[in-house]
Amino acid sequence: MESIDRWTTRLARRLARGTSRRGFLAALGGILAGGGALPLLPVSRAAAQSRRAAPGEPALELPEGDPEGCAYWRYCAVDGFLASCCGGTHTSCPPGTEMSPLTWLGTCKNPVDGKHYVISYNDCCGKDVCGRCFCRGTEREKPIYVTHKNNDIDWCMGTESVVYNSTVAVVVGVATEEG
Amino acid sequence: MRRPLALLLPLVAAASLARADLPFEVPGRVETIALPPAPHWVWVGDPLLRRTALVDAGTGRLLGMVSSGFGMPAALFARSRPEIYVPETHYTRGSRGERADVLTIYDAATLAPTGEVVLPAKRAIAATTDGLAALSDDDRFAAIFNLTPATSVSVVDLEARVLSDEIPTPGCSLVYPAGARRFAMLCADGALLLLHLDESGRRAGLARSEPFFDPSEDPVTEKGVRIGERWYFVSFAGRVHEVDLSGESPRFAEPWPLFDDDARSEGWQVGGAQHLAVHEADGRLYALVHRGGPDEHKHPGTEVWVYAAEERRRMRRIELQSPGLTFLGVPIEADGMAGSILDWLLNRVFRSVPELGIDSIAVTQDDDPLLVTVGAFSGGIGTYDARSGEFRGRVFGGNMTNAILQAPSGWGRP
Repeated sequence: MESIDRWTTRLARRLARGTSRRGFLAALGGILAGGGALPLLPVSRAAAQSRRAAPGEPALELPEGDPEGCAYWRYCAVDGFLASCCGGTHTSCPPGTEMSPLTWLGTCKNPVDGKHYVISYNDCCGKDVCGRCFCRGTEREKPIYVTHKNNDIDWCMGTESVVYNSTVAVVVGVATEEG
Repeated sequence: MRRPLALLLPLVAAASLARADLPFEVPGRVETIALPPAPHWVWVGDPLLRRTALVDAGTGRLLGMVSSGFGMPAALFARSRPEIYVPETHYTRGSRGERADVLTIYDAATLAPTGEVVLPAKRAIAATTDGLAALSDDDRFAAIFNLTPATSVSVVDLEARVLSDEIPTPGCSLVYPAGARRFAMLCADGALLLLHLDESGRRAGLARSEPFFDPSEDPVTEKGVRIGERWYFVSFAGRVHEVDLSGESPRFAEPWPLFDDDARSEGWQVGGAQHLAVHEADGRLYALVHRGGPDEHKHPGTEVWVYAAEERRRMRRIELQSPGLTFLGVPIEADGMAGSILDWLLNRVFRSVPELGIDSIAVTQDDDPLLVTVGAFSGGIGTYDARSGEFRGRVFGGNMTNAILQAPSGWGRP
């Protein structure tokens, strides 16, 4: 029993860390049905084949290279729903939303070149919450009073509407020092 | 044909005698809340349904709800009059159009709005509500934290029901009650700002302390809790910073650790959205904790550790159970064998999934206190005997998400 506990806990943690909300719920359905996560795999592969990894970034097949999964390297400090699962991409907002010009900044390590990059987590605004691919990255995140380092704040500021939909992760520079 | 009918007649007569008509009822009746509130009533906020629901955590009864606008629904609860205040943001076309921020005043018994004060359309909206709004200790004024991202505080005179001032607070955020005419704020350099009001609710002065913690090395979380005049803030590393606000200037005690060396080496740390609670009369501090690595301050908790706040000593560890799952607000429950399997899945598997784990805790303030736990996405509400730590069971409030948990005391009184 103990080893089953450990195994399932590990599985659950891996699922939670390594997959998007969609992936997690699919896997959850798999567990409940007793069939594991296999039925979803061909769909994932088909989706992956239509996209290409950006030059200098990890391969799409790897968790840290898939912009629709929480483990994608740029999402180390994202807290919200991924625009890439909501009709946008990791650098563009879903149709009809407005990208907030104000944002919080994270620092994430690109596993390919080993460099730390400054990531701008702009929110996509003006439509109600997306609901897909919820991720909660907290690397170097700080409380609300350190405003530009906080990702609990609704950053739909300077936009027509404060209503939050999803979030992108744009590389805006190379970090000069970690943190 | 005639004979069977004749036989039936006495039966029909007997049936009509036994079934007298029901008394007629008059449509249009609406319940009110029976005040004062029972000790185990809690409010659970759901941003998807844009409401906060009043749930009896002891019985599981959903008693009523208060609608809100966009953002995390959380209310302010007056102790000196039966009123509830909800900071709200609305758009004329739902998610677009003209923005209107208001503080809506609800009657605590009818849960119907009785008035509103229009606020500057700048109130801070965030995934947690600790420190976003506060009442003065005498319920005269409400302070609403604004973030555009310039920081300021809107002050509402709740007796006159007017906006009395908007006070810029550069570099300082969040609002915590600190007396009848004062609010405390946390600053980006680790200082505490005291915002003083005059009798009309206008700015009387700002007093900024020396930094009392290092925001870059070990910041305190926004989830401050209060016992009397003393506020407790906990840092990411689990150091408790006590701020005594009984005097004119704040007094900062030497921080003390929630985690000894052994616990720290095992990776124990605080985490979650609302990870602190107190029982004032018992002098107990409750912390939602888990084992993990660095930067996991939002990770859900697996245990609650209970401390004697005055003695700065851990009294108890409470291992948490899953608060239960719902689907669109409907509880996922089962009896018998299926129930055992579900329970095993809930406690052994789903509890450790961040999305389904326990984010928030609260403790009721009565003499038989409940520890209440929720997870934003799990849907259920877990209840424990706050003194013994014994699991009392799960209740369900009908929310689709349980993002905000409030267990106010002393509200709803005339």
